Amino acid sequence: MAERPEDLNLPNAVITRIIKEALPDGVNVSKEARRAISQAASVFVLYATSCANNFAMKAKRKTLNAGDVMSAMEEMEFERFMQPLREALEAYKKGQKGKKEASEQKKKDKEKKSDVEENDKNKDEEEEEEEHMDEEAEAENEVEDEEVEN
Amino acid sequence: MAATLGPAQGADSDLDRNVIEDEPRGTDGDEENSQQTGATNAPQSRLAKLPLARIKALMKADPDVTLASQESVFIIAKATELFVEMIAKDALVYAQQGKRKTLQRKDLDNAIEAIDEFAFLEGTLD
Repeated sequence: MAERPEDLNLPNAVITRIIKEALPDGVNVSKEARRAISQAASVFVLYATSCANNFAMKAKRKTLNAGDVMSAMEEMEFERFMQPLREALEAYKKGQKGKKEASEQKKKDKEKKSDVEENDKNKDEEEEEEEHMDEEAEAENEVEDEEVEN
Repeated sequence: MAATLGPAQGADSDLDRNVIEDEPRGTDGDEENSQQTGATNAPQSRLAKLPLARIKALMKADPDVTLASQESVFIIAKATELFVEMIAKDALVYAQQGKRKTLQRKDLDNAIEAIDEFAFLEGTLD
């Protein structure tokens, strides 16, 4: 599915909520202002991505990472964002780790309940899953060479 | 610069496994309806208000972007949230100068013109 930058925007309800929470009570926001802020936010994503990607390319990496985004923030003169972003990233990483452990724990519980044969099967599934990720990553690379979409 | 996230750098190969294709659908609020229920799934969704899938789609619109780690998508989502807060507050100053309690489009335009960080927005909004 081809998504052009102009077709993609962020959900209005979420943008509105972020705006309302940032402003004092009693302040209203016109529809036009909200629309403009939403558009600006999309432009921000595109600009930040482009900037971050430059850092990844400079480092000869194909994968844009969190560090690239941080560098981009500095480059874009949004240093004020860096500290809150670092904190948010820490919380996110912890949460990710928890998720991973939780799903691994689920698998372990499964194994406990089933037979020895099942144990081997689950292990195979686990390995299969990880290979699948690599396959997807490779496929992603190939696709990206020709087109931008999924 | 990347040194500020030393561990993240070292774990780059790990991140490759968690590239965007990989995100479990549950954690993205990538449709308007799912965001009505708020962060229904993993706590992750509470950390970013903006749906990661939408952010990811925007990022992929850039032809030069090959892959992006889940973390990078999250950080851009978070940065965008901070950006929205910032621009709303800066625009409010102009509304208040005009003795208004309603933020209007012209307040945005004024803020964009006056504030250096928003220079990249000039000429980009309808």
